[in-house]
Amino acid sequence: MNEDNRITNKSTKETIIETEVAMGTVHSAAIEPYRVRLFVEDEIVKDAEITIGVNHRGIERIMEGLPVEKANALTEKVCGICSNSHIWNSVMVAEKGLGIEVPDRAQYIRVIMEELERLHSHLLYLAHGNEVLGHETFSMRLFYIRETVMELLRMIGGNRVQYGAPIIGGVRPRCELNAMRIQKLKEGMDFVEEKVLNFADRFVSDPMVMSRITGVGVISQEDAIRLDTSGPTLRATGVARDLRTDMECYDPFEFDIITQDDGDVKSNLLVRVFEVLESVKIIRQAIKDLPPGKITNRSWDMQDTPIIKNRIEVPRGTLYHSYKIDDGRARNVIIRTPSIANIGAMQHACIGYHITDAQLAIVQCDPCFTCTDRAIKIIEL
Amino acid sequence: MSLKSYSRARAVHVMLVYTGGCNGCDIEIVNCIFSPKFDAEQYKVFLTWNPREADVLVVTGPVTKHTEKPLKEIYNAIPEPKAVVAAGACALMGGVYKNIHGDIPSEEIAGPVEEVIPVDAKVPGCAVRPEDVLSGVVAALPLLLNAK
Repeated sequence: MNEDNRITNKSTKETIIETEVAMGTVHSAAIEPYRVRLFVEDEIVKDAEITIGVNHRGIERIMEGLPVEKANALTEKVCGICSNSHIWNSVMVAEKGLGIEVPDRAQYIRVIMEELERLHSHLLYLAHGNEVLGHETFSMRLFYIRETVMELLRMIGGNRVQYGAPIIGGVRPRCELNAMRIQKLKEGMDFVEEKVLNFADRFVSDPMVMSRITGVGVISQEDAIRLDTSGPTLRATGVARDLRTDMECYDPFEFDIITQDDGDVKSNLLVRVFEVLESVKIIRQAIKDLPPGKITNRSWDMQDTPIIKNRIEVPRGTLYHSYKIDDGRARNVIIRTPSIANIGAMQHACIGYHITDAQLAIVQCDPCFTCTDRAIKIIEL
Repeated sequence: MSLKSYSRARAVHVMLVYTGGCNGCDIEIVNCIFSPKFDAEQYKVFLTWNPREADVLVVTGPVTKHTEKPLKEIYNAIPEPKAVVAAGACALMGGVYKNIHGDIPSEEIAGPVEEVIPVDAKVPGCAVRPEDVLSGVVAALPLLLNAK
């Protein structure tokens, strides 16, 4: 009898065939165009493969040979979510190469812009994560908080999405912070802090949500390091690595590096919630000790430089830009966005979980496929 | 007003397609429907990701070579009557990506949305403002409601 059972069990196992579920390039579950292939056995994902390349527009090619100021402005169009990070890093490359000193006031305004951008990016991530969870009310509440940040960005930068604040040697004159703007920033930060704390309270004490996200899409610390993840996805596995601690412009500010231990969806969401509060802290310090003085240093000369590299911490991880200046023009432009480092983690997080959790496991790594599509060369090691 | 257009006027479903833009316009369009500040749902405009359910197709981005075919298929999958709104500078004229250095066309871009599928309303801006998206969708509505 027992033997018979075993045989039937065995035969049913043999009849389970690995099925391929392909999503994309345009799919209703995946909002951005990319392609996912999930190899499913008995509804459990055995292997996952993410293919990018649909959004490739070749912005490095367009930047090649443009005057450096124009090339810097063009880097904003790499990504609509972290646009300030791109222009900031690109400007920093030129400043590093030409040896330009940036006035303190300009550095503070740049930090304020970057932290506002981190606020809106993290709030968008949380809203999108809740939408994928199926909790539309939380999603709408987070969009409501985010709207305040967008209005602050429009007030300072002049546009809701691409504000173009940094220029070589400082920030644009329209981004000067006067008393009225500082007052509005203060009020905005109070609002954001109150609402985010309220959200965090409700979110953590909701047993339905917590049971859905705890222990799903786990990336262990070893795997996160092996897969070269960066940014909050790495910090959600317990690694205290934040490039902001190495950046000179963040020296005057006190903030904590947020880490969580588990590496699952819950940790990823909570890291972003706490980082929002840290950003509020940094903006408050920056408003309080905003140094007087001019905001643009215009006394510099253009000269040829070798290839200059620069890395900064942006909302999603580490952003890398490099180019050389030749006759006032940008050459050999290379951009590496943080999401490309996290693709390995996205694939890894799907494996071993139910197929319905796959989208959540991908979204927890904060993917931005439109900025990920750079020309890359994969070298087998 | 026929029964069909009566019911359609009470549930306009908008589908959003990304075709390789920078994500700025896309987030603003999702924002203008989800965010309580703009809240298009109060005008009975809903966001959907299913072409069979959609009435209005909102296209963003300069249509890269790889998204040309999916975009045509999505357009064909939407039942008649339908309206297409192209949102953002990239969707209208290819944006900064269409040409590299003057008039040399980029190899990656299949052209603005107009060259791939017929467009009924155009919303300018880089990135589009949520108010403009709402008025663009509203401008396309007569096409749906007056259809027989």
